[in-house]
Formats: sequence, structure tokens, C-alpha cells
Amino acid sequence: MLQNNPSQFETSGKSEATPVLSVRHLKKSFSGKTVVNDLSFDLYPGEALALVGENGAGKSTTKNMLCGLLQPSGGTILIDGQEVEYLDADEQGIAAVHQELSLFGTLTVAENMCIAHLPGRPARVDWPKADRIARDQLSVLGIEIDPAMLVEELGAGKQQIVEIAKALLQASRVLILDEPTTSLTAPEREKLFEIIETLKERGIAIIFISHFMEEIYRVCDTFVTLRDGQQVGSGRLSDVGQPELEAMMVGRAVGHDAHAVAEPSSEEMLRVEELSSEDFHDISFSVRRGEIVGLAGLMGAGRTEVAESIYGLRKTTGRILVKGEAVSAVNVREMKRRRVCYVTEDRRSNGLFLNRPVRENLTAAAITRFVRRMVAGIGFAGERKGAAEVVSTMKIALPHIENQVVELSGGNQQKVLLGRWMATEPEIFLFDEPTKGVDIGAKFEIHRKIVDLAAGGAAVVIASSDLLELLNLSHRILVMRKGRIAGEFDRSDFNSVKIISMAASSTEGSA
Amino acid sequence: MLKGSFSRQKWIAIAAATVVLCGLLTAASPAFLTLSNFQGILIQSSVTAIMAIGMTFIILSGGIDISIGAILFFTSALFAQLMLDTNSYALSFSVAMACATALGAVNGFLVIRFRMSPLITTLATYSIYRGMAIHLTGAQNIPVPREMGFLGNGKILGLPVPIILLLVVFCIGLYLLTQTRFGVFVRAIGNSQRSARETGLPVARVTMAVYAIGGFVTGIAALVLLARVGGLQSGIGIGIEFTVIAAVILGGTKLTGGAGSMVGSVIGAVFLVLIDNGLNLLNASPFIYDVVRGGVLLAAVAFDRISAYRQSRQLKEQRRARLHEAVMAG
Repeated sequence: MLQNNPSQFETSGKSEATPVLSVRHLKKSFSGKTVVNDLSFDLYPGEALALVGENGAGKSTTKNMLCGLLQPSGGTILIDGQEVEYLDADEQGIAAVHQELSLFGTLTVAENMCIAHLPGRPARVDWPKADRIARDQLSVLGIEIDPAMLVEELGAGKQQIVEIAKALLQASRVLILDEPTTSLTAPEREKLFEIIETLKERGIAIIFISHFMEEIYRVCDTFVTLRDGQQVGSGRLSDVGQPELEAMMVGRAVGHDAHAVAEPSSEEMLRVEELSSEDFHDISFSVRRGEIVGLAGLMGAGRTEVAESIYGLRKTTGRILVKGEAVSAVNVREMKRRRVCYVTEDRRSNGLFLNRPVRENLTAAAITRFVRRMVAGIGFAGERKGAAEVVSTMKIALPHIENQVVELSGGNQQKVLLGRWMATEPEIFLFDEPTKGVDIGAKFEIHRKIVDLAAGGAAVVIASSDLLELLNLSHRILVMRKGRIAGEFDRSDFNSVKIISMAASSTEGSA
Repeated sequence: MLKGSFSRQKWIAIAAATVVLCGLLTAASPAFLTLSNFQGILIQSSVTAIMAIGMTFIILSGGIDISIGAILFFTSALFAQLMLDTNSYALSFSVAMACATALGAVNGFLVIRFRMSPLITTLATYSIYRGMAIHLTGAQNIPVPREMGFLGNGKILGLPVPIILLLVVFCIGLYLLTQTRFGVFVRAIGNSQRSARETGLPVARVTMAVYAIGGFVTGIAALVLLARVGGLQSGIGIGIEFTVIAAVILGGTKLTGGAGSMVGSVIGAVFLVLIDNGLNLLNASPFIYDVVRGGVLLAAVAFDRISAYRQSRQLKEQRRARLHEAVMAG
């Protein structure tokens, strides 16, 4: 019943109400390549529909068709059961909150919310009215934000809410939310879910796109699963379990058990002694050959800062020893020479050369290994062969190594970044959020790669906000709180509740 | 708590600096604190201040126009030549103003249509416009009729005409920026052109309009300048883009666009004249003027960077504190 059978879905569900939005056999292709094919579903007022699928499954394309940014290549869209020739999202009361916010930081909240339909005349904007509209809309959502505040002065959570409030000024009927929680803290996320509940009660239909299964189950009633642009399942979420849904997305069962981690040797690879900076204090720990050490902690606890500092990207005091040898000048060149590598959290802006070919991205860190003569060799056989090898060992899915990195999905981008560092044959890996924004399949592969690295004799440090990831992979977890190490857990007594409460407690160091 | 209103009043810093400088100059010379000297300073700054009002729109929209010195020269040349040939004020005036606006609009068109860097685009048109003007006049100095002097030195109800013109341009500019849809769009585009496009704002039209406004006010400035100096000279407009851009940046407008102040730009222009005035009082060597002007601009940019850095740190701290509180509460 869950498998590809749209016609069955048409007859199931609430047959008494008319769906506010329906699509039948929706299709989109770009220059001959079909990205979304034969998509059919119904969306009823007050209902939340989860659009699930891995990166590149066609979720964004579907979203863009539904909010009128893209014209479908085939199929029909029905509003209130009536077929529409051309979807004017604005007019139909459909709006989307995209993953990347489209707010203007230097404008006020009121200006941002009303910018598409400023009250008054063009030559004389009615500012008091704009303020009132913004204030009213925000209070409907149960949020107190001064409409005169500049958006850039608000935190990420409030910005997200302003964006939703802005969308709701136009979306009286259908609101599309694309990964709305990625930049939110846990309480902000809760607030958002409350708002979504309120909207559903008011009869607004929601299309919810998210990587997080627990969010989907929390928020949504129905689902549509996409894989490679095909609809591979749909129905009510109450009828399917999470493993089933994940298997549907990936096309096979996803391993969720802890990885079998090998016992580390006693050889100490990395030792950090009393490392301090303006962001953290007195960080001391060591990592042995074959060991994976997780750095847990809340956002802002200093995880990233510590990882960056060990790699020499930040000014610090304290000592860093690599293989028992103190590093006198901690800088990137020196750490690289000592076979330390840092795989950044922010792969798009810091890690990858997005509009350069995959080949160059893979060989950039170890160019001298691939190319003997600097002048003659770039792009020649040696480099191409080296890059192709990395592509196959890392299982990077791409048409050609000359493709630009920006064309790849998040998971494949992350593999390119990792593959680049592998080429330098590092012995100490510092990972920062290694699977952020990566789909489940790629996440599993990256995890296995990390475990393999450790088994192969590397020392690994993982800074991550995904506790499950750390519990799966680490031999030990160090819990950071407000820039200090608050505690340490061995794999034998991992306990997620204890780790979370330690990360969040305020018993000490609250200066 | 950061107050929203504070960061918008970006002109506070330059206003304070101007008051301090006035204090220093008063202490240095009793001749400074007289009505006539003040009037003189305002008249001296009127040309750059008028141009700075247009430049504020351009920089707010995320652009820059370094060809305005050439537009100033071209408009002056065209007007002087037309007056010489036709002796018709109406014709010369309207053609000159239309051309000034068009030259600005051409800059805007090139920038937005071909997605070219405004810096390089207007560097190129700077050369083109100036060359065209020299070709037009045959590199001659052309005097303008004596009665033109009214625009530069005349008075209406006791107020010097350049100051009146400055006030009018300022009021219209301020109204456009703060009260109209156009003003919001300008700041929105300057803040994020991507978001502006996604929101469906008329990015191309607004960008063209912004550069056209820059050209238009430069045309007004050209007539005032022409009236004040009595005729076309080959040196007109050379280096004025520096003063104008410096005035806007000193006034608190972000070079990256999106946020700034119209009031600040005018005060910035006055401030730069005060600096000259002070150097004059000190009998400084004329060669030192440019060094000081450059130094002041550097200091202003450094000040802006430092306060932006402080603000971002402060926001980060607050955010961290809030996060912690929130987690504790939840």
C-alpha cells in the first residue's frame, strides 16, 4: 500500500474534504534530464505533509514548482479541486520559506515583512500601518518582536520566525517550509513546532521538508517519499515506522547500529595541554593511534574553536604535541607537515573551491604528490589518475572528474573534501560536523570511512552536534560546556541523557 | 541589549566629530566662530554635499560611481558650450541636466545589465565622459555669462542660493530614502541583491534609477560650481569623487551597501571642508591637505571596522548567553 501507487492514494484519506492543493503526475525536466517524474499527492487544509528524500531526490525542484518559481514540464496542479493552467502562488495563497533565508539584515522587521506589499502609496509608504501589520502577524504567532528592530540584530531563531511571518502574510492557505530547523537551537525548534501546530489549527496546510526523521514524525500527518525524482511511497505517517521510511528513501535498509570500533593502540598521537584562547579555556586531552574521540557540547560551547585551534587556525596559548613531539609553531603549514588534517564544518565557504573541477579539489592539498613538475604537470595524466583513484575509493557519485564541485550533492561534496585530505595521507584527523547537511546514505558511508581510518591507524577527533553520531563512532566522548571540558565518558558507559545534561548544566563555569 | 534605533543613527559619530572639530577651530581662531565663516563653509561644501546625496543612494544600493567627477566636468562643458553657441538658458539648462542624468543612467545600465563591477565600469566611463567633454569643447576654457553668478553667489531672502539648493536636494533625497517604496528597495538591494531578486523587487529599474539620481544631482552641482568659478576650466571635477565618496563613508554609510545615512553624508561633506579650513588656519603647506584627507578617511574606515567587530562579538556573546539560558529553561 505504501509503494508507488498514486491512484490508490487518491481514493484514500479524507474523502469528505476537498484538498486545497493536489498534484497529478507532476513532472519536471531540465535539458532532457528528468528531475521529478510522476509525482501525485493531495494536501488537505490543516494537514502537514512531509516531503522526504535524500539530497538530490527532487525535493527542491518540487518545492520550486509548487511555489511558482519553476514551471512544471508535465502533469497538473489543482487548487481546491480545480485545475490551474499557470500557478500564481501569490494569488493562490501559497508561499515558501526557503532554506536560505531571504531576509534583509539591514532592514527592520516591519520593512522585511511588508517589502513585497508595502502599505500606502509608492510615493508615501504608510509606516505606522506597516508596523501594525508586522506586529499583528507576529502576535498571531505568539512572538514578541519589536517591528522596528533590524533583522541582523535578531538571533537565528527569531529571524526564522520573521521569515515565516513574512511568508504567512502571503500564504493564507499553503506554507512550504524547507529545512526550517537547521540553524535553530532546541528551544527555538520547539517554538517553531508550536507555531506550526497553531497554523494547522487555523486550517493552513503545510509542506514540510526536513532531513530529521523525528521532526517529520513530530510535525507531519502524511508523507511523500522521493528517490531519484520518482515517488516511491506516500501515505499516512502513522502507518509507517521510521526504519521503513528511511529504507524507502535510500532504497535499502539503513544500518543504525553502533559501528564496530576496533581497540586503539597505546601509542599517543596527539596531546593537547592547557589550550586556551578567548573562546575556550584549559583544554587538555590526548588521542591514541586508532582512537576516535568525540567532542560533544551545545552550540557555542567551543567545539569548532578547539578543532580549528589544533590545526593552527586560531591564536591560542598552551601546548600541542604530535606523536610526543611538542609543536613550537602551531600553524597550518606545520600541522599539515606533521600529517594533521582538518575537515571543516563549513565546506561550502571554507573548504571547497566550489566552481572548480572535482579533480582540482581532490588534488589541491597534496598537489606535489600528483604533479612532480609544477609548471608542466597540472591537469595531466598523473593528476587525473590520482583524482580518479580517490573518486573510486571514496565512492563519489559524479559524471566526470571535470565537473564543478558546486554541481554535486551535499554528501558527495563532503566526500570530495574528505578525499582531498586522504590524499595527503594524514595520521591525525580533526573533523568538524562531518555529516552536516548530508543525507542518510552518504552519512553512513562517511561514518564507515571514519571507522576505517581509525582501524587503519589514524587518530581521529570529531566535533559534532549530532550526539548519535558521536555515540556511534567514538571510543571516548569529551563534553564541552562554555569553553571548558566538563566531563569525559568512555564507550562502556556512554549515556546520552547524562551527556546532554552535563553539556547543558550551569553548576560551574558560568562566568 | 542592542537598540535597533541606535545602529540606524549612523551619523551620530560624524556629527560628534564635527562638533569637536568646530570646538578646536574656535579655540585656535576667534575668526572661526562667525556667521559669515559658517555660511562660507556651507557654500564651500555645497557642491560636494549635493553630489554626496546622490552618491548615498548609489552606495546604499551596493554600488559605487567614480565617474561623477567626469559627469560634473561633462555637464559643465556642455552647458558652457551651449550657452556660448545659443545663449539660451532654457535650452542649455535642460539639455545639460538631461545629459547628466543620462550619463548616470548609462553607468547603472552597464552595471546591472551586464553584471559588471561598478568600480571598473565607472572607472572606464570616467575616462570616456571626460574625453568626450574635452573633445566637445576643444579643451578650451569657456566663460559663462555674468548673471550665472547668481546661482553661486546670489541670495534669496538672505540665504545664499547654493545653500538653498543643497537644502532642497537634501529634503527630496531624505524623503525618497525614508518615506517611499523606492527608498526601501534601494536599501534592500544593497543588503542582498540575491534576496531582492527572490523577493521579486525591480532590481534593474531601481539600480538604473539610483545611478540616474547620482547623475542628476551631479548636474545641479555642475551648474553651481560653474556659477561659482565663472566659467569652464580644465581642472573641474578632478579628484572630486574622492571627496564625495569620503563624505558618504564618513557619514556612516556602509561601503557594502544596505545601511547608511543621508544626514551623515551632508555632515561628512561639511566635515571635510572644516578640515581644509583648519589646515588653512594652521597655515599648513597645501601639499599636506591630501595626506590629511586620506588619513581621515582611513581613520573613519578603521573606526567602522572596529565598531562592527565589537558589535559582532557582542552579538555572539549575547547569543551564547541566550542559548545557555534557553537550554537551562528547556
